[in-house]
Amino acid sequence: MAKDENILAQEGMRFFGRMSASATHEIKNALATISENVGLMEDLSMMAEKGHPLSPERINDISQRVNRQVQRADRVLRKLNRFSHSLDLSTESADLEKTVCFVLDLASRLIDMQEVTVELTPPVSPLMVVNNLFYLENMIWRAIETACGAAEGEKQVMISFGTDSAAPSIWFSMETVKDNVMNDLFGSKEDRAIMAYLDISIEKNIENNGFGLLWPRHKRYKEKDNVGKSIACG
Amino acid sequence: MSEKVLLVDDEKEFLEIMSERMEERGMEVTTAESADQALSIIEKESFDAIIMDFQMPGMDGMEALKAIKNKKPELQIILLTGYATVEKTVEAMKIGATDFLEKPADFEALAEKIKKAKADKMLIVEKQTEEKIKDILKRLGG
Repeated sequence: MAKDENILAQEGMRFFGRMSASATHEIKNALATISENVGLMEDLSMMAEKGHPLSPERINDISQRVNRQVQRADRVLRKLNRFSHSLDLSTESADLEKTVCFVLDLASRLIDMQEVTVELTPPVSPLMVVNNLFYLENMIWRAIETACGAAEGEKQVMISFGTDSAAPSIWFSMETVKDNVMNDLFGSKEDRAIMAYLDISIEKNIENNGFGLLWPRHKRYKEKDNVGKSIACG
Repeated sequence: MSEKVLLVDDEKEFLEIMSERMEERGMEVTTAESADQALSIIEKESFDAIIMDFQMPGMDGMEALKAIKNKKPELQIILLTGYATVEKTVEAMKIGATDFLEKPADFEALAEKIKKAKADKMLIVEKQTEEKIKDILKRLGG
């Protein structure tokens, strides 16, 4: 048990680090563009001192560009802040679709780097689970990462949800799958530790081009007040 | 003569503002939004320096660096990155990166590095030309 807790703690730190590194990288990119716009303002100001006319349109353009980047950095910081708060409670009720959307948003830069297109089909009705939110996000990210890594050709990943709200499930399928990937899914000690902690299992889909994360039927899933922190996809 | 620079970054707004500033300083700037695009551009054109983001979708900075150096060993590549670890910097330098700058970069420092890259490239090209002439003379002579 203690061994599992160690694995969980290490994997949790790794996941937090990875998401934070990606988010801060994006903030740095926004800051770099802001910094260059400020530099351009200084260049234009120096030129104006030497008698070159200063165009109000150009100043307006620069101001809009800076504003866009400030908003972008603010969006990333909000995501990061919300992500940090997923560690607040040991267990809470979570809406699966909203959690998947949040993880997709949080990791959007990492997914873009792999040039994978992710399509999400919402569930017919909300699917609720009671889990530790941080490790739920961690497991969903591991599933997204596995699906992205297994996708070949057009690199498309489809995410859908099971229809039985008493036994929630999330399904990941790939348009084209790399050879042999489906034979070795989620076998690492980290995967096993998180799945045991969240009480979920893995199943291949019938077409053998994807897999599902399945929650057991016996658990009662009810909505709590703390649900609703998630944002809608898109 | 102005410096001819290829700027490679997947951040469109960063490309726009950087090329605007570089052009204000009299540099001749071409932009590419991916390493693949950059590779196809260097097939047709020559540059004094390539300024390239280290982390881009598709081919990453290290792969791109290897591919460019493989095609045009004389090209001077200055890498830009959000975060530079010592390990990555050393690895990139071993492969042949000329320099490494962290974003947000000091524009004056970058402009200086571009000038230096141009001078270094001229030395390499001169040396290559000298080697070629020597080779031709050797073959003619003997």
